[in-house]
Amino acid sequence: MIQANDLSKSFDQHEVLKNISLKIPAHQVVAVIGPSGSGKSTFLRCLNGLEMITGGTISVNDHLLQATDNKKLRQKTIHAIRQDTGMVFQQFNLYPHKTVIENVMEALIVVKKQSKEQARVIASQLIMRVGLQEKEEVYPSKLSGGQQQRVAIARALAMEPKIMLFDEPTSALDPELVGEVLKVMKELADEGMTMVIVTHEMKFAQDVADRILFMADGQIVEDSEPRKFFEQPSTERAQRFLAKVNEF
Amino acid sequence: MDIVIDNLPFLLKGAYYTLLITVVSMFFGLIIGLITAIARLKGNRFFRTIARVYVSIIRGTPPLVQIVIVYYGLVDYGIELGALTAAYIALSINIGAYVSEAFRGAIQAVPIGQTEAALATGMTEAQAIRRVVIPQAIRIAIPPLGNTFVGMLKETSLVSVIAVTELLRSAQLLVAQYYVYMPFYLSIAVMYWILSTLFTFILSVIEKRLSVY
Repeated sequence: MIQANDLSKSFDQHEVLKNISLKIPAHQVVAVIGPSGSGKSTFLRCLNGLEMITGGTISVNDHLLQATDNKKLRQKTIHAIRQDTGMVFQQFNLYPHKTVIENVMEALIVVKKQSKEQARVIASQLIMRVGLQEKEEVYPSKLSGGQQQRVAIARALAMEPKIMLFDEPTSALDPELVGEVLKVMKELADEGMTMVIVTHEMKFAQDVADRILFMADGQIVEDSEPRKFFEQPSTERAQRFLAKVNEF
Repeated sequence: MDIVIDNLPFLLKGAYYTLLITVVSMFFGLIIGLITAIARLKGNRFFRTIARVYVSIIRGTPPLVQIVIVYYGLVDYGIELGALTAAYIALSINIGAYVSEAFRGAIQAVPIGQTEAALATGMTEAQAIRRVVIPQAIRIAIPPLGNTFVGMLKETSLVSVIAVTELLRSAQLLVAQYYVYMPFYLSIAVMYWILSTLFTFILSVIEKRLSVY
């Protein structure tokens, strides 16, 4: 489903991702963890072209993006990749000038060219799925962070993505609101969605993910099953990280 | 006072032209300004440069000079414009530059995460700008645009020099006829003030309408 070969990303002289190669099969739930500045978010953003790779290739649902592609080809590929991926951001990024249901309908109307009536039906179902049916006509500013993030998930799902990307979806939330978002994500995972989740929620990663990617200094240092990773991390870097996380 | 009341229809006709010129120039200025702002922010080098030079020239030259260039200057090249048309053109081009600055600031004030969210749902860059960024930018731009438009209303008095009978010139014509100054000039001052206040009021209503969220 996702395949990276020698993927690199530099900002000017600064190399953020170094020769990453991996395969993620369909229906797998991958948690990407690691210290801040390790390149986790950048890696995730490379998967849907919000950051353009500067070396290697990346293939998402058979759309092959190469660092050497010219601008036109690159735009075309990235556009195709984005049709198949949904993304959820740390800061939610809901459209503040649109109501909850309009947020979910927007891409259906603009990208999929559906009629308003069609879009409304689909959006309504998705909003129900994330448990916010009473909030359809409300503006995002009136919602809690957890509710906003659930709307953001519904918005991403509206495009029927094959892959969902989560960029620290609970990091901006008050602790008591984290659970409701993770619950929606777990349901998605149980339904077989392919998911890549950058997260600091170790417990969630352990319980829900099929696979842990531990990143440090722009590389995947460890790639293993959750149980093995949390109980017997094989690298010293991961051991140090887990010791820090478990300090409290 | 009586001579003002006797000539009120004439002055009101002047006010009508002042308002007409303002609204027409505002309309085209908004279009020019929006296109210029987008060209400066998203255009390639060629369009960016054109937009920047345009804004720089307009902001760096007096509007009165711009008006006489359009009306008298173009005649040298065989382009003879009616006074009113020349006023529309000169003022639209003038205000467009100021509007573009207001829009540019407003577009930059919309968080980048908004564009990214739109792109991530599969929108093209153009769709993201049109559907997500611009609607938010317009609301941010309203207060500075309000200042620009009220300034514009007052600047229309400059087109009296090319014989458009707007408010100022109506007063001047009456002064020439009756040889009294104060009553006419004072009444048009009051009219300008009323119009400005009206404009400010309308804009504040629009601003309220747009801030439902």
